[in-house]
This record gives sequence, C-alpha cells and structure tokens, in this order.
Amino acid sequence: MSERPPLTEGVYYILLSLYEPRHGYGIIQLTEEMTKGRVKLGAGTIYGAIKTLLDRGLIQPVDDDGRKKEYVITSEGKQMVEHEISRLMELFENGIRITRGDKID
Amino acid sequence: MTEKLTKIRFFIDYEKEEQWVNDMSQQGWHLVKLGFGYFIFEKGLPGEYIYRNEMLAGFRKKDNSKEYIEFLKDTGVELVTKYMTWVYFRKKTEEGPFELYTDFTSKIQYINRILYLFLLLFLVNFYFGITNVFNVFNHNSNVTYTIGIFNLLVSLIFVYPLFLLFKRRNDLKSKLTIFHD
Repeated sequence: MSERPPLTEGVYYILLSLYEPRHGYGIIQLTEEMTKGRVKLGAGTIYGAIKTLLDRGLIQPVDDDGRKKEYVITSEGKQMVEHEISRLMELFENGIRITRGDKID
Repeated sequence: MTEKLTKIRFFIDYEKEEQWVNDMSQQGWHLVKLGFGYFIFEKGLPGEYIYRNEMLAGFRKKDNSKEYIEFLKDTGVELVTKYMTWVYFRKKTEEGPFELYTDFTSKIQYINRILYLFLLLFLVNFYFGITNVFNVFNHNSNVTYTIGIFNLLVSLIFVYPLFLLFKRRNDLKSKLTIFHD
C-alpha cells in the first residue's frame, strides 16, 4: 500500500465539487448530477467528511457574510485529487487490459 | 385544528422505532413531538414525509449540534422534535430518498457514538449495582441495597441494545473488507 490510501467515493466527490466554492447542499446536488443519481450523499455523512477535510487542511471555508457556509478546495486537496486520479487510471487501465483479453506484458 | 394522536411506546431498538414512526407516517400520522416514552402525531397526507432519528452528541469534545442542525436545514432537512440527545428529522418524500449516513465509514462512526455512550452507562450502573448490592463500602442500609438493585436493572436495559450495536458494527466492518464504502 502506498502512503496515500484510496479516497472514499464520498470524499472524492466532495473534493471535486469544491474546485468551485459550494455549500453542503451544492455538494450533494453536484455529486448526484455527476453520477446521474447513483451517489446520493447523506447530509450526516457530508457534515462529518467536511469536518475531517477541514481539520486536515484539504478544504477551507470561504470568507463570506452569507448564512450558508461555503467551502473550497486547497492546494493540498488538489494534490490529493490528482494522486487519486492517477490511481484510478491505473485501476481502469489494468482492468480493461485484462478483461478485454489482451496479453499481460 | 389538526387532528392529533398520542401513543405511548418504549423501544429498545432505535432503528425499530424509526421504522414504526415511518409506518405511522405512511398511514397519515406524522410525528411532531417526542418525549419520554410518548409520541405525538398529527394527521396529514399518508406518506408525505420520510423520518430519520439520530442521537446527536455522544461525548464528543465539542457539542456541534446547533451547527449540525443548521447544516441539515440548508440541505432541506427539517428538525421535527428533540428529546434529550435524540432528534427526529424529516424530509418530504417527493424530494427523493432521505438518509443521513450513506457510506459504511460514516455509518460505523455513528454507531460508535451511540455504542460508547451506552457502554459507559452500562458499566457505571453495573459497577454501582454490584458495589451497592454486595455492600462493598459497608454502609449497612436497605437504601443502598435498593439503589444497587435499581442500578443493576438499569444496566440490564442496555444489554440488548449493546448487543445489537456490536452486531451492526461488525456487519458493516465485514463489508469494509471487500467494499470500499
């Protein structure tokens, strides 16, 4: 295992949603839209994940006087997403190569 | 005046309780108030809402309940009633499925919150039950004995819920060994 374990689906989509500032409901809606309704994040799950991501400095609150709190991804968070994408690419390519019957090099 | 209905019920399993509240809602009785062993319902459209219960603060360092409830409100979830640390939330059925926790990791965390609180209550009552009944501290009185019996009864109440919580947690954990979340 690498030092960066895989992200949960929820965390991955929360981080993706926060490439632009969004509040909780915005994250839920965008995630549902991106996955065509497959991933519906529960509000309790999101709330807990946001707390953890804030603690780890992967996202930060946006300064705003609005009542609804908005969050945005940090550069550390973006690094995490990039890393996850290359991991997913590897999973995807290996999966395609083997299931489509190509020879393993 | 809206028609009201009061039911006296005690549930040992909070998931069964939630199921019952949802069944009542299916019949057009929507929960509006929760108290010690009683539930007040209001007549409305059958199946109009989906209800979810939650134990808010266990012993987390900071009580974020207010912030959490605000957060839920912003996602269209309505706080219906609160009794001690237990709350009921609801959402209109037409707005689609409503779950508070949607992955294994957060479900396990939530179960832990309840589990640790129940475990503490069980242990404290069990400890004082045993010490009082067997008169460990040598206060020779019937009062101590009675309190001891009471403590033991209270600790007994937590045995089955604890068993359920451990079982549910193990089921979720075994899923985590194959599935990510």
